[in-house]
Amino acid sequence: MLKNKKIKLNSNRISRYASRFTLHLILIIGSFAMIVPFLWMIISSFKPNIDIISVNFQLFSSNWTLENYQKIFREMPILRAYLNSLFVATVATFFTVLSSSAAGYLFAKLRFWGRDALFFIVLGSIMIPAEIVIIPLYLMISKVSLVNSYTALIAPFLINAFGVFLMRQFIYGIPNENIEAARIDGASDWRIYFNIIIPLIKPCIAVVGILTFIWTYDNFLWALVVVSETKMMTLPLILGRYAMTEGGVIAGASMATTSIVVIPVLIVYAFFQRFFIKGLSMTGIKA
Amino acid sequence: MDLVTRKRSKINSYILIVSFLIFAYYLIITIGPLFYNIYMSLSKTDLMSEWTFVGLRNYLSIFKDQIFLKSLLHNFIYILVMVPVGIGSSLLIAFLIYNTNGFAKKTYLFMFFAPVVTSLIAVSVIWRLLYYPNVGLFARVIQGLFHIEAPLFLQDPNIALLCIILMDIWKDTGLRVVVLHAGMEEIPESVFDSARIDGASFFSTFFRIIIPLLRHQIIFLAAIYSINALRVFGQVYMMTGNPAGGPAHSTQVLVVRMYQEAFLYTKFGRGAAISMIVFIMLFGLVYLEIKSFSKGWEY
Repeated sequence: MLKNKKIKLNSNRISRYASRFTLHLILIIGSFAMIVPFLWMIISSFKPNIDIISVNFQLFSSNWTLENYQKIFREMPILRAYLNSLFVATVATFFTVLSSSAAGYLFAKLRFWGRDALFFIVLGSIMIPAEIVIIPLYLMISKVSLVNSYTALIAPFLINAFGVFLMRQFIYGIPNENIEAARIDGASDWRIYFNIIIPLIKPCIAVVGILTFIWTYDNFLWALVVVSETKMMTLPLILGRYAMTEGGVIAGASMATTSIVVIPVLIVYAFFQRFFIKGLSMTGIKA
Repeated sequence: MDLVTRKRSKINSYILIVSFLIFAYYLIITIGPLFYNIYMSLSKTDLMSEWTFVGLRNYLSIFKDQIFLKSLLHNFIYILVMVPVGIGSSLLIAFLIYNTNGFAKKTYLFMFFAPVVTSLIAVSVIWRLLYYPNVGLFARVIQGLFHIEAPLFLQDPNIALLCIILMDIWKDTGLRVVVLHAGMEEIPESVFDSARIDGASFFSTFFRIIIPLLRHQIIFLAAIYSINALRVFGQVYMMTGNPAGGPAHSTQVLVVRMYQEAFLYTKFGRGAAISMIVFIMLFGLVYLEIKSFSKGWEY
């Protein structure tokens, strides 16, 4: 009897270990599948093209080279594209954080005529993503001769409905006493917004900021429509042009380009994981 | 008292300016263009002559266009594959991660989420190389493991669209996993305990407990990914851009078609009509999304 029980316990333990093992095995394979494409990208970016398309496969080429990187800096305006992308994303992020938080305070704490209607417009704008209005927006931009300008690249991304919504929720949780006390001291709502609200919503600023930055950094369709001059191109456009015109023939160079687009973002992600995950998983929408 | 009343009756410049700016901005960037778009979709728009009102002629003509109809079909296929396969696989992974803890859990979530933060365009370029016939990673793996001829992937009209959908599912797995995993963490421990005492198997726990209790998250994700599937552009443009819309138009989708009509053939009216059709399809989905988003879960 006793012996039986012991055996049963043992087999239980073994099956538990076995299922633990399978669990981790599946997850490790899964995690690996998530980064394999990036490893492939990095390895390929250091290979001569001959080795990438060679039938005899070597994971690490014996004659690895920096030629691909030299080539993209030599033959493409990659530095300029980098600066364009960073500039557009930074300016759009700054304005979106400012406008979304100001709107968040407006909708969370202030009462005025037409507030609900205005909030409805903001939320309703989610129903009209860029794809829907891209033709009229382009025609408007070209009518005021702003094609190929930073203004055109940035203009549609100055506020974000999801940002407003997140900010409103967050500011709603700030106790009214703080605000009332300041108001009795004679502070205007501008003062309250800058001196009380902004310092209290830093985590939310980080979330909305990262979200906006990622969206504008990756934006493709609008940039494709509104930019035709090489010097105004952003990184996704350069990638598009390079990968489109030459196909797989210049595999090495296109992998070098994607490496310098992707790796900085992954490094920043490694440090600020929490904000990335929070922001992106709350909205789930692509820019 | 006097001070307070005076303050109240004074016009509040913050409210006035901020609400005016928000209203003006949306008027210029969304509402105005939407009406302009509707007007355009009802007009004959060539660059030379004045635009003339033609009623529904653009809509009638795009519905006679084979390529447009194909695009519509492809977007439906996109939804029908990406939503169930994406959510199903992510549910499973989220449940597996839920059963780990500590450092391992953090690492898994970190790894699965990494592709989500990267640029869709860059990832599309990478996957194009992975899918490259004969010498890409997938072709090499298939040839090496099974010793059979690997398919041509993006160059094969029968599977090109599925290849793009697979990439899309891969890229956003982490996002769905995080949402679903967070939902699982909120399920009280006692529910799992009583299931264990009742001797529930892995599968019955999964189907009888996890899925019903996570229905809000599942609806949210289904709405989100249907929306994303309707808006697909970059991945198709990058992965099967040459010829545009894939071999034999096999990956042609609505937004790509709209882009071609408007910006390659300068038929703005037809492009606008296509975008209005996307808009109408989005309408219900976005309503569903806002409703589940407003529930405002905490992570």
